[in-house]
Amino acid sequence: MTLLSFARGPGMQVASLIFIAGMFWRLFGIFLLRRRVAHAAARHPFPIRLLGGAVTIFTRTIPRRTFWPRVGAGVALSYVFHVGLFIILFGGAPHILIIHEIFGLSWPGLPRGVIVIASGITLAALILLLVRRLTHPVLRLLSKPDDYISWAIVFLPVATGILLSGETIASYGTLLALHILSIEALMIWLPFGKLMHVSLVFAGRFVLGYNFSRKGAAT
Amino acid sequence: MNVISPPPAQQAPPPADVSRALRGFIADVGPTVALSLESCVHCGQCAEACQFYVQTGDPRYTPIHKIELFKQTYNRELGPFAFAYKFFGLAPALTTETLTEWQDLVYDSCNMCGRCSLICPMGIDIADLVEQTRHGMYQAGLAPQDFLGAIAEKERATGSPFGLTSEKFRDLLHEIGAAHGVEMHVDEPKAEIVPTVSSIDVKTYPGSMAAIAKILNHLGQPWSFRTDGFDADNASLTAGDRAGQDAVTQGIVAAAISCGAKTLVMPECGHSFTEMRWEAANAYGKDLPFRVLHITELMAENIQSGKIRVTKVKQTATYHDACQVSRRGGATAAPRVILAALGVDLHELEDAGDANWCCGGGGGVALIKRAQPLRDAAFAIKKKQIEASGAPIVYTSCSGCRQTLDHGGKASGWTTTVGSLLELVADNLAS
Amino acid sequence: MTAADENLGEMLARRGFGRRGLLKFAIAMTSSLALPPGMAVAMADNLAAAKRQSVIWLSFQECTGCLETLLRTDSPTIAALIFDFISLDYQEALMAAAGGAAERTLRQAVAANKGKYLLAIDGSVPLADGGVYSLTGGKSNVSMLQEFAPDAAAILAIGTCAAYGGIPKAHPNPTGAVGVEDVITDKPIVNIPGCPPIPDVLSGVLVHFVSFGRLPALDDRKRPLAYFGTTIHDQCYRKPFYDQGKFAKSFDDEGARQGWCLFELGCKGPTTHNACASLKWNDNTSFPIESGHGCLGCSEPDFWDQEGGFYTSLAGGTGPGWRDAGIAAATGIVLGSAAAISARRNAPKGTTET
Repeated sequence: MTLLSFARGPGMQVASLIFIAGMFWRLFGIFLLRRRVAHAAARHPFPIRLLGGAVTIFTRTIPRRTFWPRVGAGVALSYVFHVGLFIILFGGAPHILIIHEIFGLSWPGLPRGVIVIASGITLAALILLLVRRLTHPVLRLLSKPDDYISWAIVFLPVATGILLSGETIASYGTLLALHILSIEALMIWLPFGKLMHVSLVFAGRFVLGYNFSRKGAAT
Repeated sequence: MNVISPPPAQQAPPPADVSRALRGFIADVGPTVALSLESCVHCGQCAEACQFYVQTGDPRYTPIHKIELFKQTYNRELGPFAFAYKFFGLAPALTTETLTEWQDLVYDSCNMCGRCSLICPMGIDIADLVEQTRHGMYQAGLAPQDFLGAIAEKERATGSPFGLTSEKFRDLLHEIGAAHGVEMHVDEPKAEIVPTVSSIDVKTYPGSMAAIAKILNHLGQPWSFRTDGFDADNASLTAGDRAGQDAVTQGIVAAAISCGAKTLVMPECGHSFTEMRWEAANAYGKDLPFRVLHITELMAENIQSGKIRVTKVKQTATYHDACQVSRRGGATAAPRVILAALGVDLHELEDAGDANWCCGGGGGVALIKRAQPLRDAAFAIKKKQIEASGAPIVYTSCSGCRQTLDHGGKASGWTTTVGSLLELVADNLAS
Repeated sequence: MTAADENLGEMLARRGFGRRGLLKFAIAMTSSLALPPGMAVAMADNLAAAKRQSVIWLSFQECTGCLETLLRTDSPTIAALIFDFISLDYQEALMAAAGGAAERTLRQAVAANKGKYLLAIDGSVPLADGGVYSLTGGKSNVSMLQEFAPDAAAILAIGTCAAYGGIPKAHPNPTGAVGVEDVITDKPIVNIPGCPPIPDVLSGVLVHFVSFGRLPALDDRKRPLAYFGTTIHDQCYRKPFYDQGKFAKSFDDEGARQGWCLFELGCKGPTTHNACASLKWNDNTSFPIESGHGCLGCSEPDFWDQEGGFYTSLAGGTGPGWRDAGIAAATGIVLGSAAAISARRNAPKGTTET
């Protein structure tokens, strides 16, 4: 069995199953803890609280204006990375193809040149984010192995994807295998480290928005 | 009249109790707290919202870093992967040394003001996590004794942070009533409105009790102070004494129920409002049979309905929001209604309202003597903003803030006057 | 001079092809073999002086497609004449002898050319149950291979079956089929994979061997680099469409009719090494992609068993399927619930919080 056929076969199976099991494990482990009913009289009825929760998912994407001077640059850099990754994942033809193969959904991809530019910018942003994490005093204090592992495990798919798209450094088959394997590594790691924020960000913002809407407090 | 007992003599504290800290940490973790503890991506934005980091540049004051011991304990004891954390040693176990090392992060350098919770892109209520962390720290014996911990102990023992008994309070109220020429109602068997007081008012701003009486008399509904449940301060809350916190709360609830109150009015205070408005029903176990209002909410509501009538004042002023009332409590609008009705020329502070900066004294920090430098650092922000507003007066509706602004102002030699919104209304009621 | 003694130059002259024709052929061959153009003269001289090269061709577990492809010529070409010259001493489908006469022919050819003949194999070698699944005259393929390999100069494994096991090796491989290289490990082997291989490739290898006395440069899978050094994708005329992101979404849709890239329809061009996109088939007429179907990857090992089959693109593969995904989800739920229940027991039941 070649590296590529392993990556496209058993590797994909194992990574997907671990990913799915891990996600459910972590989410259920959190949400089945003992919950307490809130008795204090809410300021807003249930539908408004639900709406507050849902809206907070969107409003927390941009920090309040008052915070911009201090966090604006870091947030912007982080968004350059996230948006770049989004463009690659959802605008790149081979990724749309995978989504189609799994879910049957499809949409037109972006021109290759756009993806190339987005990939380069995403890679640069990732590197700058690492430099920032290594030099900013707050981030140096906070950062644990999880932060660096998660960075590397995101960096590798982007880097191998660029090499694959450029069909350079090694043969197409090898690059494709490495790219797929790096994504499988990411899938295996995701539920267990900080990359879980792909799901927790929605849950956390919603819960805060819901609870604070209950109080009529600022979200 | 001196109703305050002196703080206990300084002794070397016993070493932090690790097993009690652990149990204190894990006692109250439900899905929301767990979600918060799982979600941090180490982005560092919370530091940029915190007055203590912003003013000192010390990364240790990063809000999410303050709760690190709580988080690691959660990971080891309660998290979905707890067995792996323990088995592979992925998170360090608590030690006396680390608990002690974190004491000033959890107490001295956190007002539980919630600015960090406002900025967090993952929706983590970090301020609440600090409150949770204090549960474990208190159990370990790490509430700073000089003097937050001492006051909390006194409150647990006597029901009041300064040991004020019901009898003494009753006498005090009648004295104040006489001194201000205001009719006092104390321990009425039936009352629709029951006001409470902050011990800071008792200690430093006794005029506020007269002001409450004046306004409630003006309002005309049957009201009464209850000396069996008057002290809303709840130092136990900020110290992290869960049992003490509940005891104080239940006492007030019982007092209000016993006279059939329809409305419980919280004084010019921050955490007492948070506690009674948003936590008391949970401690009680079911819906409360009365509304809970902050004094500003009571005033605003009744000004809008015309039941309280005020005369206009010719003043230019700014307003300092109490974090627990506005950002955390949802009552940001009420003071503006009042100030508008009074015709005050309001120069809002930068970041006024929900995003305001804490005065630096909240969350029990004003009760920690050694935290003075940190309070001064936080106050410097307010001073700058207040002076930039161009207003000669700053009103507030929290005695904790009022006192902190007073002290800070005097120490820095400013010319601004600090006023109470409650007393402003009481002084300008239309007859 | 007898026909047996004449060299290639004399044989070709007899049939009307002079030195000029041979030179033209050599120029074309050096180009095909990716050799420096200057070697054409040397090749032409060597070919002219070359003696008959014995080739013994054994067919094992095969479909005869590889032999058929080599015979598909529209008109006699010099390549066909070369085949005449190389003295195909033994080939079961083509020779006149049969039965015992055939066996004697084989033994005489081996004896006469001991150490010098090229052993050409097509078809896989079945090993299961003592090799009983493919017998010639009662003898298993594997025993024949082991008998005749030692005296060969080199072995040409023609077609994917001989090179890597091919279709018979596809799961579950009931005959235990393997490629020649899995049986013989101590002889030079040239793999000429393809299902079937391009005929020009075989000619190129033979010409090289006859001209220079050695096999051409091989890659790490023992394939001639000149023909297998690049992928179909590298040479494919539809690559501009790949680069522009113009993909056919289904067979005979608008994109397919415009000749767009067939990547999304499962084309394995990017990972398949062969010369189909440049040399093409049927005298440079067409190749599968040009005819509208994606490359199957037939010159690569295990192409029949590749993940997801022929119509799953390289971007995809074989995922777990919804049933297994559901089992994984259920497992996660059980583990998470167990953790939460354990946590609930662990925490002292006090004033439980949010």
